[in-house]
Amino acid sequence: MKLTETGESRIRGYRFVLDRSLRSFLPRDAAADAVREVESHIRERLDQIEALPDERTAVERVLAELGPPLRVAQAYSHEMTLDEAITTGRFVPMVRAIWHAATTSVIGFAWALLVFTGWTMGVSFLAMGALKPIFYNNIGFFTLNGKFRGFGFEFGLPAGTEAHGGYWIMPIALLAGVATMVVTQRISRRTLAWMRSRKPSAWISLKVEVREEDR
Amino acid sequence: MAPPSGRTLAVGTVENWQEQLRRGGLELAILLSVARHPRYGLEIINHLDALTDLVVTEGTIYPILARLNRDGWLASEWREEGSHPRKYYRLTDRGRTRLAYMTDSWKDFAAKLNRLIVAAQGDGNETH
Repeated sequence: MKLTETGESRIRGYRFVLDRSLRSFLPRDAAADAVREVESHIRERLDQIEALPDERTAVERVLAELGPPLRVAQAYSHEMTLDEAITTGRFVPMVRAIWHAATTSVIGFAWALLVFTGWTMGVSFLAMGALKPIFYNNIGFFTLNGKFRGFGFEFGLPAGTEAHGGYWIMPIALLAGVATMVVTQRISRRTLAWMRSRKPSAWISLKVEVREEDR
Repeated sequence: MAPPSGRTLAVGTVENWQEQLRRGGLELAILLSVARHPRYGLEIINHLDALTDLVVTEGTIYPILARLNRDGWLASEWREEGSHPRKYYRLTDRGRTRLAYMTDSWKDFAAKLNRLIVAAQGDGNETH
């Protein structure tokens, strides 16, 4: 079907929204490939339903069957980002999924903050264990005049401060670091799985919309 | 048999269950669609539409194809045909092995559930 400028403009608009949405969580070339494929689908569908009375009806019908661009992008997010993070648990997909969740919902943002805190704590514990031999007097449990002052790294300690724990801090901190990272990772994966089960795909939304119309 | 009404059962429960079934089934269905020869997205959708009612929104097929492609079960190539290019998908060797495993698992799973259904219906008949 040869489209008029109005029809082309409608498809360009769809492409634009889809492209922008996909680029927020997919690499640029993957997003471009996905948009190209969806556009190919639209044009092929339009060729198939050439019998419809007018161009506008045909274009709107094809786009409706495809689903709104944001919903298509959401389906890509579930398949490409969430699935990879949940099934592999690899760091980069996890970060991508968490970033996507943090930028698309309030709950996702709060959850991302907790995960970031967990990772920071884990890395800090690991750093304590690794750096203890270098900064012997600046890492450990600190007391000032016999009273507990703090735990962790501290530089520029006031006179009278003593570092306790000796080299025992190393295995304890390394163990705590690994445990914190593992627990954070497991909780993150479970939370991602829960998020996906709450919004499984565009299909659920469509079903709910149909039922709302029935009422 | 008609599905239970969304008003009488919690929407999340029934539809999530159907969604999980559909997700599992759709992946297998897509792999089966390209088992004999390569097909492009819309061709897969038309094939599934002709034989099943698995595709409800067409836009959900492409993300699954992209994931199967990324996971190495499908391979894809763009072909310039007619007025616009088409992205064809074909099964890889890894995908073929996966498809064989999934098909066997599906048949096995369905057979077990069918046995349970028959047993449950038998129990029900006995109580009357």
